Amino acid sequence: MSAPINNTTSILTQTVAKLLLLPTFVAAFAILVKGYAQPGDGFSAGVVASLGVLLQYLVLGRREAERLVTVRNAPTIAGAGLLLSLSVAVVPLFLGDPVLTHYPRPGEDVVYLGTLELITPVLFDLGIFFLVFGFAVGAIGAFARTISEQEEYAGPGTEQLEDDT
Amino acid sequence: MILAISVVIAVVFASGAFLVLQRDLLRVVVGIVLISNSAILFIIAAGLSRGSAPIYPIDEGAVSDPLVQAMALTALVIGSSVAALLLAVVYRLYVSHGSIDIEEIFRMEMREAEELESMNKTELDPEEEEVADERKLEKEEPR
Amino acid sequence: MTTLVILPAGIAWLLAAVIAPLDGRRPLWGWLAATGLGASLLAVVLLLVRVLREGPVEVVAGGWPEGVGITLRADVLGASFAAVSLAVVLVAFVHEVLLGVRSRTFPALVLFLAAGLSGLFLTGDIFNFYVFFEISMTASYILTGYREENSQVRAAFIFAVVNLVGSVMFLSGIAGLYHLTGSLDMEVVAGRIGQVELSSIIPIATVIFVAFSLKIGLFPFHFWLPAVYVGSHAPVAAILSGAVANIGSYGLLRFGADVLPDALSFGAPVVLVLGVVSIVYGAMQAVSRHDTSEVMAYSTIGQVGYILVALAVGGPVGYAAAVVYSIVNSLNKALVFLAAQLRGPLAGAAFAVGAFSIAGVPPAVGFVGKIALFKTSIEAGGLLETTALVVLIFAGSALSFVYAFQVYQRAFLAREYRNNKRPSPRATRVLAISLAAFVLAVGLWPEPLLVLGTESAALLLEGLR
Repeated sequence: MSAPINNTTSILTQTVAKLLLLPTFVAAFAILVKGYAQPGDGFSAGVVASLGVLLQYLVLGRREAERLVTVRNAPTIAGAGLLLSLSVAVVPLFLGDPVLTHYPRPGEDVVYLGTLELITPVLFDLGIFFLVFGFAVGAIGAFARTISEQEEYAGPGTEQLEDDT
Repeated sequence: MILAISVVIAVVFASGAFLVLQRDLLRVVVGIVLISNSAILFIIAAGLSRGSAPIYPIDEGAVSDPLVQAMALTALVIGSSVAALLLAVVYRLYVSHGSIDIEEIFRMEMREAEELESMNKTELDPEEEEVADERKLEKEEPR
Repeated sequence: MTTLVILPAGIAWLLAAVIAPLDGRRPLWGWLAATGLGASLLAVVLLLVRVLREGPVEVVAGGWPEGVGITLRADVLGASFAAVSLAVVLVAFVHEVLLGVRSRTFPALVLFLAAGLSGLFLTGDIFNFYVFFEISMTASYILTGYREENSQVRAAFIFAVVNLVGSVMFLSGIAGLYHLTGSLDMEVVAGRIGQVELSSIIPIATVIFVAFSLKIGLFPFHFWLPAVYVGSHAPVAAILSGAVANIGSYGLLRFGADVLPDALSFGAPVVLVLGVVSIVYGAMQAVSRHDTSEVMAYSTIGQVGYILVALAVGGPVGYAAAVVYSIVNSLNKALVFLAAQLRGPLAGAAFAVGAFSIAGVPPAVGFVGKIALFKTSIEAGGLLETTALVVLIFAGSALSFVYAFQVYQRAFLAREYRNNKRPSPRATRVLAISLAAFVLAVGLWPEPLLVLGTESAALLLEGLR
C-alpha cells in the first residue's frame, strides 16, 4: 500500500489533527463526568472521542491512524464497556435490589473526588463510553480497511467474477 | 411550530421513502437513515414542550419533557448502528457482485442459478445439485 | 424472587458480551453459549410456573417509584411466548453447534437475539419493548447472512431494509401513544387510552398493526419473506420462523388485545379478511412450489393467517386460540426446518411428525391448535360466518396436508434421496427426533398448553372489564 492520501492534506492540517487528538479525549472525558450536573453523558462523550480518531483517519490515512493503541483494540474496548455496564446493572440483584439500582441511594453520603460524586452511575456511563467509542472506532476502522483494500486491488468486483465463470 | 415540524417530518420521510425505492443500494441506506430520522423528529414532536433543562435543582417555571429526548437519543443510537450494519452489508454485496445496483445483482444471481441448473440437468438430480452447490462453495471460500 | 424477571435476558446478555470477542467456532464456546441459553430457558420456565400460580410479577428498574422507572413485567402471555421462543432458539443453536459453527460471531449473535427476545416478552414498557425488539432484530439481520453465501447476504439486506421500515413505523406508533396518553407503561397506556377518541387511536393502531404484520409476514406485507427463508441456513430459518416471528404475533396480541382493544374490535373485519386471504394465498403458493424451504416460507404466510383470524374473532376463545396456535406454529416450524435438511434413518420420521403437525393430524400438537381454531370459528357468531370459517380452516388444513407431503415425498421418498448415502450426524438426528417427540407429547397431553392459552386470554380480557 502506498503512502496514505498525504498529497491532499497539507502539513498544517496534519499537525493540527495530531495536536487535536489529546484535547478531544480531554473534552470527551469532561462531557462524561459533567453529565451528573449538566447536559452530557457517556454516549456523547464516546461520539466526541471517536470523532477525534476519525479525524486522524481522514487526515493521516489508515496506516498512521492505526498506530494508536485504541484503534487496534476497538472491539475489545467495546466488549469490555458492555460488560462493565451490564455488571453495574446486575450487581444490585445480589444485594436484593431491583436491577439498575445505583448506589449510594438518595440521601446517603457520597464520596467526592474533587467535585465529582463517586456514584455507580459514573461507572455505568464509563461502560457506555467505552462501548460507543469501541463500536464507532471499530466501524470507522473496518470501513477504512475496505477502502484501502480497494485501492490495493483496483476494484474487487471484476476479477472475482472472472474467477467464478 | 406544530405546522413547521410536521412539514419537516413529512419532507424528510418523503425523501427517505423516495430513496428507499431506488435501485442503488447506497441510496436505499441513506433513505433508511432519513426515514428513521423522521421518526425521531416525530418522537420529539410527540412531547414538544418549552422549558428549562430537567436537571436538578429545577428552576421555577416549566420544565421540558425529558422522556422524549431520552427516547430520541436511544432511537438515534439504534439508527446509527443499524446504518453502519447496512453499509457493511452493501459493501459485502459490492465485493461479491461488483455492483450496488439491486437489479443487476438479481440478474447476476439468476444467471448463476441458471448456469448451475444447465450444468446439473444433464446427469445430476436435485439432491446432488445441493452437493455440487456446496462443493462450489467450498471452492469459493478461501478467497 | 422478582430477580427471576431479569434473569432470562440478563444471563443471555452477559454471556453474549463475554463470548463476543472469543472465537465462536470452537465447540467449547458454542457449548458454553448453549448452557447459557439453557439457563435462560430454565429461568423463563420457572418464571412461567410462578406467574401461573401467583399472577404477574413486576419490577421497576433502578428502584424508582412505579410510573417513573422502566417496568419489567412478566405475565402469563409474555412468559409463554418467551419460553417457546427460547426453546426454539436453544434447539436450533444446539443443532448448529453439532453441525459445526462456521462463523466466529454466531454464538454471540444468537445470545444477543435470545436476550432481546426474552427482554421484549418480559417488559411492561412500550419503549423498552422497542429497544429489545431492535436488539433481537439487528441480531437476526446478521444471522440471515450467516454462512455468507451471496444470495444470503442479499436476502439479509432486503430483510433488514423492510424490517427497518417496519420498526420505524412502530416507533412512530409509540410516539403517538405517548403523545395521547403521556405514559409508556403498557398498563397505564391501556387504562388511559379508553378516554381518547377512537378516531385518534385508529391511525396509531393501523401503524402498529402494519409494523407487526411486516414482521410476521401477513399477506400484503409478506413480499420479503420467501427470499429470506429460501436463502437462509436451516437452523437460522428455524430461529427466524420459530422465534423471531413470535415477536409479530406477540406484538399483535399485546398491542391489539391488551393496549388498544377498542381499535382492534373496530378493525376486526379488516384483520379477519387479511387473515383469510393470507391463509388461502399462503396455502395456494405453498402447494405450487417445489423447493422445501420455499414451500415452508409460503406455509408460514398461511399459518400466520390462522393467528389473525383467531385474533379478529377475539373473546376468551379467540385469544386463547391465537396464543395456542402461535406456540404450536413455532414448534412446528422449528421442527420442519431442522428436519428437512437432515438425511439418514429417522430423519424422515421427524419431518413427517412436523408435517402431520402442520396439517393438524392427531396426535401431533398441530391438532390441538386446529381444534382451538374450530372452537373459535364456532364462537364467531352467525351461522354463515361460522360455516365459512370452518370450511376455510378445513380447506387450509387439507392444502397444508398436500404441500407438507409433497415436500416429504420430494425430500425423503424420492430416488435421489435413497441414493444419497450421506447421513447427517447422529446427534442432530437425535435432536430433531426429540423435538418431534416433544411435539407428539404436547399433542397427547395438551392440557398445560391449553391452560396457557386460556390464562393469557383471561389476562388480555381483564383490561376490558
